[in-house]
Amino acid sequence: MSNFLRAVIDGVLTGSVYALMAAGLTLIFGVMEVINIAQGILVVLGAYLSYVLSVHLGIDLFAGLIITIPVMFVLGVGIQWGLMRRLGEREKVSMSILVTYAVAIILEGVLDLIFGPGYLQLTAWYVNQSIHVFGFYLPYIYVFGFILAVGLLGSLYFILYRTEFGRSLRASQQNKTAARLIGIDVNRVAAITFGIGVAVTAAGGMVFGATTAFNSNSSADLISRLLTIVILGGMGSIGGAMGASVLMLVIEAIVSTYWSPTWATLVFYMVLVLVLVVRPAGLFGQKAVRAQ
Amino acid sequence: MTITDPILSLDGVCAGYGGGDVLQGVSFEVNRGGITCIVGPNGAGKSTLLAAVTGLIKPRVGSIKFNGETISGLSPRAVLSKGVVLVPQNHSLFPDMTVRENVELGAYTIKDRQVVKDRRDKIEEMFPVVRSKAKDKAGSLSGGQQRLVEFARCLMLDPSLVILDEPSMGLDPKTLHVVFQTMRAMNADGRSILLVEQNAKAGLKASSHGVVLENGRVRLLGTGREVLEHPEIATLYLGGSVEAAGGVR
Repeated sequence: MSNFLRAVIDGVLTGSVYALMAAGLTLIFGVMEVINIAQGILVVLGAYLSYVLSVHLGIDLFAGLIITIPVMFVLGVGIQWGLMRRLGEREKVSMSILVTYAVAIILEGVLDLIFGPGYLQLTAWYVNQSIHVFGFYLPYIYVFGFILAVGLLGSLYFILYRTEFGRSLRASQQNKTAARLIGIDVNRVAAITFGIGVAVTAAGGMVFGATTAFNSNSSADLISRLLTIVILGGMGSIGGAMGASVLMLVIEAIVSTYWSPTWATLVFYMVLVLVLVVRPAGLFGQKAVRAQ
Repeated sequence: MTITDPILSLDGVCAGYGGGDVLQGVSFEVNRGGITCIVGPNGAGKSTLLAAVTGLIKPRVGSIKFNGETISGLSPRAVLSKGVVLVPQNHSLFPDMTVRENVELGAYTIKDRQVVKDRRDKIEEMFPVVRSKAKDKAGSLSGGQQRLVEFARCLMLDPSLVILDEPSMGLDPKTLHVVFQTMRAMNADGRSILLVEQNAKAGLKASSHGVVLENGRVRLLGTGREVLEHPEIATLYLGGSVEAAGGVR
């Protein structure tokens, strides 16, 4: 029983960070109907940025987010304005996959050039120490990462449902033409949304880099997982991405505990296939699929 | 037919979506304070025309003037700020937002919250469904109710020209009656109406002026009654072609 509970806690803590990264991906899809294949490498870039600030400037990993989040936001806005905005409406999804894949390849090459192929891991006192809660030893970084993810997801919800920008974002997500006709600048909304979607990778990347050894090639596995989560949750559904993240990471942790870590990854994708057979729109994806 | 005080004038407008011109030199005027109905078969260019007027597409040549001021080529937001609003053909509400949110979004470009609130209160009096279903998701309303909420939303900017694209589409006769009644009420309130309607008979009957569009060109112009009673109007809807008749255009 204690092993099971431990697996569930691990899954929830890790799942919250994946939820943050997946929320960015699904938010971008929801508003622009583009798939950002570069989200994985952007997470890795976030990890490298935290590494540079931590190692070369001595800035704490969490404090460094004050710098890395805005930097990633600007990068996201730049990708939207420079590349994604120019995509035509025809075959937009497939073209977006190609363009963002190109961005991912370029970023991966640049990171490899700067940092080399060696694995890195972010370090701080809370990365190596644990807290004793309810009979379990939980690494501080997982607890802090969970708090950070919950805080940022809460902020994202606040922006979406309590601000004028959030209204314009949701309107653009639900009906672009109608949004334009009531005076919403859909291009501006798209740029800011892409910025936000990429900005969260700074936080996700930092926690990822502190909990996992990474190099420039780490993005392939990440983007596969993130896409799985987003598809499972229902394309465009932020609540779905959050639910699917926690669900998948809990399942993975349970399989890893009771069976084997090797099978855990396979089960991750098997769950996706099984769910899609029963619910092609994903677990929470009715609306998102209708919107397409 | 001469229009002495046009609120909207189109002069030789050619426009399309990139694959050639759908509109091929469209010219006509919309009477201030009246209801002008555009009819025509599928593919005549009615929706393209509205897209050009509201800034969704830019005319390749020709000019569109609103209150004597050129608006062709302006962004939808800029056209909106001049007082021209469009209620599109397909459902244009935001289905996952509440009715109140939808209506308030009609005043998206107005930053003064008090003005928005005052207008909303006034509109809720005009459209009881907006008040009674305020907290319901817009997507849960019937087709007719959604139409009325769309009308309510478009009035939040207090426009002087309201463009209605196929308001009767998919509505039962009873709801259609309510929708047309509401349109007349908006007109009586001092707003000019430009109506595009597949239901030619109902549209022209309710209108002061009529325009028949065919293959991207204006084929007939006249009062609503003149166009409605034109001997060849029926031929047009049976797949034939209207020959320009004297006295009307």
